[in-house]
Amino acid sequence: MAFTIVCPVCGIRRSYEFRFGGEDKGPRPEEDTLTPATWCEYVHLNNCVAGIQKEWWFHRDGCGSWFTIYRDTTINQQVENSIDETNP
Amino acid sequence: MRLKSNSYTNGRLWGWNPPLKSSYDAVIIGGGLHGLATAYFLARQQKMSNVAVIEKRYIGFGGSGRNTAIVRANQRTQENIPLYKEALDMWPVLTRELDFNLMFYNCGNLNLAHSEAALKAMRLQVASAQFQGVQSHLLDPKGCKKLIPALDISDRPRYPIYGGMYHPPGGIVRHDAVVWGLAKGAAKLGIHIHQGTEVTGIGVRNKKIVSVQTDKGKIYTPRVLNAAGGYSAALSYEMLGIKLPISVLTIQAMVTQPLKPLLHHVVSSGAYHCYANQTLKGEIATGSHMDPWPNYTNQSTARYIKHQAEAMTELLPCLRGVKFMRIWGGLADMTPDMAPVIDGNNIITGYYMDCGWGYFGFKSCLVTGKYMAKFMADGICPGILKPFALRRFEQHRLMGETAAVVNYSPDN
Repeated sequence: MAFTIVCPVCGIRRSYEFRFGGEDKGPRPEEDTLTPATWCEYVHLNNCVAGIQKEWWFHRDGCGSWFTIYRDTTINQQVENSIDETNP
Repeated sequence: MRLKSNSYTNGRLWGWNPPLKSSYDAVIIGGGLHGLATAYFLARQQKMSNVAVIEKRYIGFGGSGRNTAIVRANQRTQENIPLYKEALDMWPVLTRELDFNLMFYNCGNLNLAHSEAALKAMRLQVASAQFQGVQSHLLDPKGCKKLIPALDISDRPRYPIYGGMYHPPGGIVRHDAVVWGLAKGAAKLGIHIHQGTEVTGIGVRNKKIVSVQTDKGKIYTPRVLNAAGGYSAALSYEMLGIKLPISVLTIQAMVTQPLKPLLHHVVSSGAYHCYANQTLKGEIATGSHMDPWPNYTNQSTARYIKHQAEAMTELLPCLRGVKFMRIWGGLADMTPDMAPVIDGNNIITGYYMDCGWGYFGFKSCLVTGKYMAKFMADGICPGILKPFALRRFEQHRLMGETAAVVNYSPDN
């Protein structure tokens, strides 16, 4: 289902202008201590949350910004952050 | 996971509603085709009938009843072809065994190429199929037109037809019939199918499965199969903390108004991203690409109605002006290499996974059910399923099921 995303530069735009950039998995793992399992987790593995998740988007057909939003995957709408990030 | 389950199950549900026992030898989460097939083969071939299938809504609610019913065995890789070949051979056998008409129609699949590069990729795919004893051959545009006279093989379309890959033993199977046939067959052998029952937790002690918690009560069991289709990755992470290389995307399909017979084969095109067949009622059933963001809605979009209309009228111009009657969406659990995750009895003893089928889950259900049942009964993975282990992702041994760079997962 199509929806709208608020781009930090361009404001509210339709979702087809954007490319989904994956779940927010935190910073890229350090390479000197990298194991195949950690890399696999960063690259391939997902939480697939049915609910609110923090995720990356790229404004492909717009300003070209990368940014994160919170979206409820069960209703497919951008929402205000309700995840307690200090206690994940 | 947060969707209310009871809103779907207020009406009449399929069949007999057995009482929920406090213990079973195995619990299968998901009353879709993979879960039902595994239950059926557990009872039939492994003599394990003290088995429960737990379904949150009703059997066939998910991808099992939402796919476009196409079956074929012309996969790309050596690991996948034998599995799909056996799957294709099983439809007539199961029709007899279940005494239920699955309406298998082996009309053949024609996959169109719209560039030299696509033809080249098809050559490899045809050679791989032939090497494994699967009928498949290349056709020139005239050969395609001979099979489907309505095809436009002129240079008018934006991407003209360069040729095609024809796979005669493939075709279509009535997907609802398979759900009902397997459910009836399994129930007859003593399997308990609990519809309208939601799994709320999985009990693990000392890295061993001990129980499954449902909204209707607790079940003690040493074996659990995650066959929850589109919901399997969320279930795996929420209940066991096991992350899977899956993205859940909505895929849409639609049917036109009924027409006189004009399409006697399954036709598909990677470049236009559409696949179509004419149903027994005369409707053209056609499927499209996925909305490129993970979500758990089954909602459809105007974008794909337009896309599908454009693609179908490019390939089959006689469809201009024909109306779509219905559109629907379903969830596809996509992996990065378009091959499933079949694994189990290692991270947690007694926990089995049959996930990540993406949109190949329909054609593979019988064969996977058969070998999954053996896996669950013996605790040892049968050779044919071994290549699909979860570890392949950290070993960088992804399968080559995609021909070229196709952006199936939303991350690339």
